[in-house]
Amino acid sequence: MNMIDVRVAAIEQVTPLIKHFKFVKEDGSQLPPFSGGSHIVVALDAEDRTYRNPYSLMGSPTETDAYHISVRRQENSRGGSAYMHENVSVGMTLKITHPVNLFTLAKMAHKHILIAGGIGITPFMSQIEDLNRIGADYELHYAFRSYKQAAFVEELQKSCGNKLHCHSDSDGKRLDMEALLSNQPLGTHVYVCGPSPMVVAVLETAKNLGWPESNVHNEQFLAPPVGESFKVQLAKSNLEVQVPAEMSMLEAIEAAGVQAEYLCRGGVCGRCELSVLESDGGLEHNDHFLTESEKASCSKIMPCVSRTKGKLLVLDL
Amino acid sequence: MERGYWIKSKPVYTSLVWHEKATSHLVLAAGIGGMAALKLFQQMHPAQPVTVLYAKYAQMEVDYSATLKKVVPENLHVFKFEEDLLTELKSIMPHMHMGLRIYVAGSEGFIWDVAKAVKPFGVDDAHIMKELTDTLARSVYCVHCKAVTKNVTTNIVPCCGCERMLFVRDHFSRNLGAYMGLMVDAESPGELPAIEEIYP
Repeated sequence: MNMIDVRVAAIEQVTPLIKHFKFVKEDGSQLPPFSGGSHIVVALDAEDRTYRNPYSLMGSPTETDAYHISVRRQENSRGGSAYMHENVSVGMTLKITHPVNLFTLAKMAHKHILIAGGIGITPFMSQIEDLNRIGADYELHYAFRSYKQAAFVEELQKSCGNKLHCHSDSDGKRLDMEALLSNQPLGTHVYVCGPSPMVVAVLETAKNLGWPESNVHNEQFLAPPVGESFKVQLAKSNLEVQVPAEMSMLEAIEAAGVQAEYLCRGGVCGRCELSVLESDGGLEHNDHFLTESEKASCSKIMPCVSRTKGKLLVLDL
Repeated sequence: MERGYWIKSKPVYTSLVWHEKATSHLVLAAGIGGMAALKLFQQMHPAQPVTVLYAKYAQMEVDYSATLKKVVPENLHVFKFEEDLLTELKSIMPHMHMGLRIYVAGSEGFIWDVAKAVKPFGVDDAHIMKELTDTLARSVYCVHCKAVTKNVTTNIVPCCGCERMLFVRDHFSRNLGAYMGLMVDAESPGELPAIEEIYP
């Protein structure tokens, strides 16, 4: 994949768990333009392996001299976010992918309701720049555990004004999804990015209130879960790859030198889909891309986040 | 009609069935479309509020309003003409919210007049349940002079604007609520294929 070389120009500790990274092109030239909601994949060459993690771009889409991402240090990190926090320093060079947008704003919407949970605020940071520029009607609902752990509240107050609604658990101000999604004007679109229970709550509430699916948008990058070790046979490449417990299938395939397609690496986009030729145990589908019936058929798998419960998987790659 | 071939823009109509998930329902019917509305009320009555707008005199001059008054428990509004129904529709739409489900039954012209009327309020036609009753007669948009010829039942029709003989295609414009019509004898004037009624 065609990667861009960037230099880490600045790092800011925003909250005890969140760091903000600024990337610039090594030669000082402009980075590719992007639209609000886009993400990049950052490649991190650790000692024994390469991590490739997706992060939303949170700067203004009109400013392309630098990209901004924020990384929350995950408690049960496999190492990617911990590596970003501990090993990445100002002046280092990294490789990133071109921006891809899997979380676009619906241009025809009459009103936009943005719902962020914790670090899920990042894609909305670039989207509100777009919404402000076109003068769109929107509300940003930002839910977090406490003000101490909430990133960018001041910046958001400046850019969103009274369109920002903060919901802090510590104040006992839980976001009431049903109240929020009831009595919204026709033509409203809702967008959610945050922890899984929050995304599920929004999707379920909207569905129960009769919102059409096309008016409900979500983005939830999954970190590849740790599982049991298993073996993958690549039929076309005529190769056997052992997938360790803490590595994703996609990472293990790449480490073995096989080029596989990918975009988001978080179970969202569907680009890395592979055909399963044989498996000796049930598949552990962790993605948000395949339909329930596709998952049940056990004929396709997303190697970025999914695994097998068995010992061996034969793939058409 | 070629097998396995389909022009994607050609609308697909279904039978009306209540959406299980909704906060309110709006049923719009004209003429024979009243029967589709009556069939809705043969199904389990939704828990959410229902409004029915019915226009009596569509093309075929049938009137289901007396029966509708018996089965629709509340919020039934009967109009003499489709235009009156559309005027009322436009006046109630600003008070509607997300969760409203729209059902429409009648002629193709009526269905797309409704779709056009609700579009400015943020309702995509994909989310309107549509039942084609009445006739298959088409509105035909002349790609040469832009006139729309209504109630076309034949494969070839003279344009009401420029009098060119138009071949009626399946290519449909949701914006115009009409099928495209192209001059059929442009290359050999006067040589026309057989004119047949295929949209009775």
